[in-house]
Amino acid sequence: MASVEFRDVTKRFGAVAAVDGISLTVERGELFFLLGPSGCGKTTALRMLAGFVEPDEGTILFDGRDVSRLPAHRRNVGMVFQTYALFPHMTVERNVEYGLRFRKTVAAERAARVAEALERTRLSGLGPRYPSELSGGQQQRVALARALAIQPDVLLLDEPLSNLDTKLRVEVREEIKRIHQEFKITAVYVTHDQDEALSLADRMAIMRNGRIEQAGTPAEIYAKPRNEFVAGFVGETNLLDGTAEPRGGAFGYATAAGWVPAPGEAANGRAAARISLRPECVRLGAPEGAPARGVVRRVSFFGGSVRVEVELKNGATLSSVSLGADARLTWREGDAAGVYAEADNAVVLE
Amino acid sequence: MRSSSNERPGPGAFAAVAAIAAFFALFLFYPLVYVFNKSFIVNGRPTLEFFELLFKSPALRESIGNSLMIAAAVTLLSAALGLAFAWLLSRADLPAKGLWSNLLLFPLILPPFVGAIGIRYVFGRFGMINILLMKAGIISEMNPIDWLGSPFWGVVILETLHLFPIMLLNISGSFTLMDPSLEDAARSLGARSAALFRTVTAPLLMPGFFAGASIVFIWAMTDLGTPLLFEYRAVAPVQIFNAVQATQENALGYALVVAVLLITAAFFMLSKFVFARRRVDMPAFGRSAGRLVRLGVPGKVAVCAALAVFVLIALIPHVSVVLVSFSEKWFMSALPQEWTLDYYGKVFTHPMSYNSVKNSLALSGLAVIVTMGAGGTIAYLLARKKFKGQGILDACAMLPLAVPGVVLAFGYVQGFFGTSLDPRVNPIPLLVIGYAVRRLPLVVRALYAGFQQTGAALEEASASLGAGPAPTLRFITLPLIRANMLGAAILAFAFSMLEVSDSLILAMEEKFFPMTKAIYMLMARLGDGGMIASAMGVLGALLLAAALAAAQKLLGKKMGDLFRA
Repeated sequence: MASVEFRDVTKRFGAVAAVDGISLTVERGELFFLLGPSGCGKTTALRMLAGFVEPDEGTILFDGRDVSRLPAHRRNVGMVFQTYALFPHMTVERNVEYGLRFRKTVAAERAARVAEALERTRLSGLGPRYPSELSGGQQQRVALARALAIQPDVLLLDEPLSNLDTKLRVEVREEIKRIHQEFKITAVYVTHDQDEALSLADRMAIMRNGRIEQAGTPAEIYAKPRNEFVAGFVGETNLLDGTAEPRGGAFGYATAAGWVPAPGEAANGRAAARISLRPECVRLGAPEGAPARGVVRRVSFFGGSVRVEVELKNGATLSSVSLGADARLTWREGDAAGVYAEADNAVVLE
Repeated sequence: MRSSSNERPGPGAFAAVAAIAAFFALFLFYPLVYVFNKSFIVNGRPTLEFFELLFKSPALRESIGNSLMIAAAVTLLSAALGLAFAWLLSRADLPAKGLWSNLLLFPLILPPFVGAIGIRYVFGRFGMINILLMKAGIISEMNPIDWLGSPFWGVVILETLHLFPIMLLNISGSFTLMDPSLEDAARSLGARSAALFRTVTAPLLMPGFFAGASIVFIWAMTDLGTPLLFEYRAVAPVQIFNAVQATQENALGYALVVAVLLITAAFFMLSKFVFARRRVDMPAFGRSAGRLVRLGVPGKVAVCAALAVFVLIALIPHVSVVLVSFSEKWFMSALPQEWTLDYYGKVFTHPMSYNSVKNSLALSGLAVIVTMGAGGTIAYLLARKKFKGQGILDACAMLPLAVPGVVLAFGYVQGFFGTSLDPRVNPIPLLVIGYAVRRLPLVVRALYAGFQQTGAALEEASASLGAGPAPTLRFITLPLIRANMLGAAILAFAFSMLEVSDSLILAMEEKFFPMTKAIYMLMARLGDGGMIASAMGVLGALLLAAALAAAQKLLGKKMGDLFRA
């Protein structure tokens, strides 16, 4: 197990910087996520850790040791590929054993290690089969077992669930969490799926255009997105325009959904700012005496929750998500509604 | 946009590129440059005398004209047959498609110069056809019809029979790639049959069509064996063949070679960059089965009857060669009077034929090693590395498709005159290299396809598990492209065994003769020469048939791609 660090790392393909000066540390034993839209550089960053891509600038360190120029086969990194990359001409056992052939592992121990890896990924009994005889989920687990069998210092996962159907995806997600906890291994996981990141990550980094927009725990990033991109990419949000307006001695912004306190912003004192307000922080109620009012335009039912879209006076639309049965029954399109925003949970964006 | 550090060529890759470049420089460019130099620089001064020669010499004009006409006729006939058959096989509800497809591809196995042997027995002055006509009293014995009086059509027909399957493979490939829903979409937008073909079907068929047509054209224009066996001297390849025997300073030979090379290169470029500029990529998803055109019962009967007649005619050369090879006596009769297996025995006892079989096996085996080594390296560099000059490397590997065998062989003989590689002294090294160079496009394509199918991710997975480049090659890459390697090697071997121009031009002494040269020399001998030659030809055709069947199995549908320009 090793810690992983990017230090001012840049990688260009032609004129485009796929990774643009990122610095980042992944602690030992952490399950760390790189999350971002396609083309954001997350896969290139991962491939630099694997040793498939060399950085143009900066260094990559494992446990403080510079590995930037170390070829892939000397890094002791386990990788799970998006397409699994299982060797089609080898059985499951041979696939899992493959990496051990290049390590000083005696034959008897090899067999034991293979059996253990198969058992811990719940593949016992499938050893003699070929990859083509397995289901997608099973192939996925073989890829995981193969990467874990070499007892890697770092485990890399490149969109490992993208080839599975939705139901299986949730199952395998939990499986990965369990295996990570069991193996206590440093893991870097690349995905564009925020659900995967939010539900699994110890910490995560949001990437865009080769840069890291924000890093932190899922809760931190969800609760305090730094900018509009992060707020919109992680979870759903309402973006509001705010105008500076001190109230009762406190600094804050006036928005169409009411006044939002921003004590931290007082020093900056920006005259206008964008404000993120999560839909679950918007409650709807009686119009009378509400801080803001609007007309219900759309009610969407999601089983466990209901989203109601309200058109505010200034024409902006605000989403409100609530759980439970009452909300579903209460609102109809065209109703007048009072908007009660949890102003303390609104976030003033950079 | 993913690129790997291991895509960047390391010192090993640089060494490989340098070695390949040296190989091309010495055995592809040097002979061509030598020939150009000889024709454009006389007594140290640049000159255009060569052009004058081209226009002044009636013999030269005639031979080039004849060759161009042969090429045009063969290309047009092959294209028409290929298009019709491909349409029937892919777009019509023809019964027993598998059978027809095999029968229509079958003529490919007979090298046309072998077919020419049989045709001489069938259409000769006292061949099967005339004898039958005499017996029926239609013509008199004094006045046999001279079917082969003009060997032009004999050459055209034999080459067409050998080459139309290449057009069929290419056009069928395009039909298979084409999403039938595109045609459905055009129909739904109101396009009728003619407009549909003109606006949708034809443009999508173009790349495959021209990829096949340029191979067929160049092949037909520069085929040496067929006209030689018909004793058709007024064609460019035969003139070049004769010029080799002449002195070093035979300006006529150089002028002809340069003219032929310019024509084939121009045609190749034209078809590659103008007509087939874009290979249309079609999305692989949601391909519908497509509606087949209904022929109806009378239509089916008529089409099947026509196909059967065609196949029977196409097999005449095959059948006649087989007949000759088994005939003890065949003179003034429709069919051989007595049958024998002796000539197959003589292939392995007659000194010239036995020696040539041994030579060909050794030469082709060595050529396969050279071409697989060079082709494998090139395919690997193209598929797995990224560096400037890849386009040039690819173009060089495909260049032998545009450079006719006779031209290169002529360049070898003249360019290496007096060197340690001089084929007059010992042709073995240049025969091996010549065979290898000619098979290079096929090998590079087959292996490149293998690397593409395997994908880089498996090699990356191997590296991440701790395997260095050598074990990755051994345990992952090579086992996975084994089928492509085997298919390419088998085809390269069979085509080398039947290679005509290098063998005929480079091997000058009997002890060095490969099979094809022995067949040619035996044909000129009285007595049993023709029968032994036929037996050798039949064995060659069987080898080619087995090789094509094996390659088809190993390479699957991709095999058609090997016969493209």
